[in-house]
Amino acid sequence: MNDRDRRDFQAGLEAEVDALLKGESTRRSFITRFGQMTGMLAASGPILGMMTDWAMAQQKLELADAASPLGQAQALALKASTEGPANGSAFRATEAAKKFPGVTINMTSEAGLQALDPRNFSGPMWEQLTGTKMNVVELSNPDQYSKAVAEHIASSGAYDVLDISPAWTPSLADGGVIAPLDDFIAKYMNMKDFEDFHPLYKSLPTYKGKIWGFFDDGDIFALYYRKDIFEDPKLMEAYQAKFNAKLEPPKTWAEYNQIAQFITDQMAPNVYGAGHFRKAGSPGNQFDFLQQFRANGGKLFGDDMKAGLVSDAGVATLTSMKASNAASIPGNNELDAVSLWAAFLTGKVAMIYSWPPTGRMAGNYSQSATAINFIPKSQIAGKVGYAVVPGNPEHAVGYNKALAADSANLEASYLFMQWVTSPEVSLARVMLPYALRDPYRISHYKSDLYGGLFPGAKEYLINLNNSANVGLLDPIMPGAQDYFLSLDRMCTAVWAGADPKASLETAAAEWNETTDRLGVDSQKAFYTEFLKLPGATAENTVEKLGLAVKL
Amino acid sequence: MQTTTITRMTAAGAPPKLSRFARWADRNFKWLLVAPAVLLILALSIYPLLFSLVVSFINYDFQVPGHAFVGLKNFSRVIFDPVARWSLFLTAWLSAVSVAIEFVLGLLVALTMVRSFPGRGVIMSILIVPLFISPVIVGQAWTLLLQRPFGPTNYILTQLLGQEVTIGWMTESPWLYFSLIIADVWQWTPFMFVILLAGLTAIPPNLYEAAELDGVSAWQAFWAITVPHLGPMIMLALTFRLLDAIRMFDTIFIMTGGGPGTQTYTASYYLYTVGFTQFHLSQATAGSWLFLIFTAFVVTLLVRRLLKTEPV
Repeated sequence: MNDRDRRDFQAGLEAEVDALLKGESTRRSFITRFGQMTGMLAASGPILGMMTDWAMAQQKLELADAASPLGQAQALALKASTEGPANGSAFRATEAAKKFPGVTINMTSEAGLQALDPRNFSGPMWEQLTGTKMNVVELSNPDQYSKAVAEHIASSGAYDVLDISPAWTPSLADGGVIAPLDDFIAKYMNMKDFEDFHPLYKSLPTYKGKIWGFFDDGDIFALYYRKDIFEDPKLMEAYQAKFNAKLEPPKTWAEYNQIAQFITDQMAPNVYGAGHFRKAGSPGNQFDFLQQFRANGGKLFGDDMKAGLVSDAGVATLTSMKASNAASIPGNNELDAVSLWAAFLTGKVAMIYSWPPTGRMAGNYSQSATAINFIPKSQIAGKVGYAVVPGNPEHAVGYNKALAADSANLEASYLFMQWVTSPEVSLARVMLPYALRDPYRISHYKSDLYGGLFPGAKEYLINLNNSANVGLLDPIMPGAQDYFLSLDRMCTAVWAGADPKASLETAAAEWNETTDRLGVDSQKAFYTEFLKLPGATAENTVEKLGLAVKL
Repeated sequence: MQTTTITRMTAAGAPPKLSRFARWADRNFKWLLVAPAVLLILALSIYPLLFSLVVSFINYDFQVPGHAFVGLKNFSRVIFDPVARWSLFLTAWLSAVSVAIEFVLGLLVALTMVRSFPGRGVIMSILIVPLFISPVIVGQAWTLLLQRPFGPTNYILTQLLGQEVTIGWMTESPWLYFSLIIADVWQWTPFMFVILLAGLTAIPPNLYEAAELDGVSAWQAFWAITVPHLGPMIMLALTFRLLDAIRMFDTIFIMTGGGPGTQTYTASYYLYTVGFTQFHLSQATAGSWLFLIFTAFVVTLLVRRLLKTEPV
């Protein structure tokens, strides 16, 4: 090494030492740190995974006070699963499922409140009874459809049990996403339990002669009104004097609007006659339109599958709905379902029609669960009456439990479905204070335990049953969400001042485009299948078919 | 420096015997370092981009079985959909108005805050708080303020004006646009303010001192010194904000749900509805490409202008 080389070497060494002392990166230190970082990343995966598993793991079985109606219903569910009767669907499912210990069942559920039941109650109880593992996959409502289809396309077998909207049944069945249950039902179910479904709901998962799921959520609209207002002597007298009629829950939409306007005129700004969830996407508009349109004699589609919206029934429906809006609380068109509940529970509104949790909230039962305490305490408990919505109430959405066709554990998954919707277990589920699952079996409506949940609960159950007797189903066919969206846009445009006839024409054009896109013949076949179901039209309700359940 | 060191050590007679692989690794060390990032970008960006391009030319609809090639049908559905055209117009209009207001307000606040005064730090901290709030929360907060019958806005206006105010802030035109703009302005004016303040503080103070000595008025100094020096920052802020504003979705989702009718459908909301409410994924993907082309056009114009802008 000559002097120059030595100088250069020394300079290089000094630079490296300086860099080291200053904490600057050298290649060695960079590689070391890079290795450390990669190691940490590699380790963080499993650690995060464990933390996620811990956070999302099934909870321990949550049981209510054994002396309470809910505690008694839960004890009965447990007893029916372990002690029988031996021919009961719950017992048969439990016994058969013991053949599958350690099997994991992946069940989709709408994220949030809907998932609390399988996480806190039915899931842990099934694990305890059978040794099966339950994994609840929480999804947004649209994802409950799209992810199920996507996983089917990928043949991943990611899901075993699917919570689906009944409207999706035909497309999921034809697409091979869900499997028919007929063979399993014949093998395991006590058909007496199958007959226990209310007739409106029993056939609902039936498509092309096969059963594609178990109905699991009686989402029937009902009318909830303030008894103290309707029974106020001064108001009754004034109403009698003005209309020569008794002030009582309305039976027609004309009466509904008249009473709503009367109460608003008499009591505003303290109380208004009615309230509705009319905000775009809320999704009250489509359901309200569908129930009134069909009660007014409207046909959704003609024989050529052209939309039947542009009709006298369509105009009459929108005109009536506008009159309801005018008679309602200020801001009616800005309300969603939750804010409408808030308006009713705080005593600002005399009448609303909505989903069944309304009754449980009005009785202050739901709010006993911390999960649902974002709903205000009811200031009208004990003052609420129940009636059937004028004409025919809409069964708005609902849920079916369906069996994923790609499941690696078809039988074990089916058995869970049979158990969880069995009379005893489903009763305990629909009684959970945070439940958004509503009564749907005849035994639910007759249950003394449910009737003891809050004052007026018996009348509430009777009214849900009576509503189902004359209830109408949402269209169960592909494209339902497109048709619904068009109705929502149409209604909100009319509320904002658009011409009803022109708006009906726009919506009809959108419906026709949807039908063309999906295939006219194919849609006609789906619609024909739908029309076979009780409650598909106002002419073939459960009651008109002679199947009404009398309690 | 590193290479030099190793070379000299070799020359010093203590050559580390490097294997062939080690020599190759030494030569290509830089490529090995960037390879994971490149692969990640390819996997997470390029592949989905190409896949989405394929999807826009086939049928990919969760309601219609099969993935048949449909040519330009998905694009034509979007182009001939009046809701899509309206949503694009509304996106441009809302973005332009919101960003213009945010710019003016942001500049005014920045000009105020560029001087030191007691409490300036606290006020600045408060001013930038909206930036850290999720747009969904912002939408919900404004809904609570404006929504009848619970929101206090109409009540306060009634008290102030002495006559009953019954405005449907989220259901009646033109008030619903006003509501959306005010929510956006409330959240994003601080963004303009922060960037413009940074630009203002970078202007040499001696320019103002010289101007003052020359008897230049404040207004003249603003136009002759502040605006030209702030030009690049203004373009930067406008570009960033416009790029963000044309994606407006969250506040609309929460405040109006796209309604009434389709009056508050922006491009993002339209694409969301088509893709995730109606499940027409291929149409939504085609719409996204059209939207991307439109956005790229706007961005190119802005960036060219930005690159041309030089401080005086």
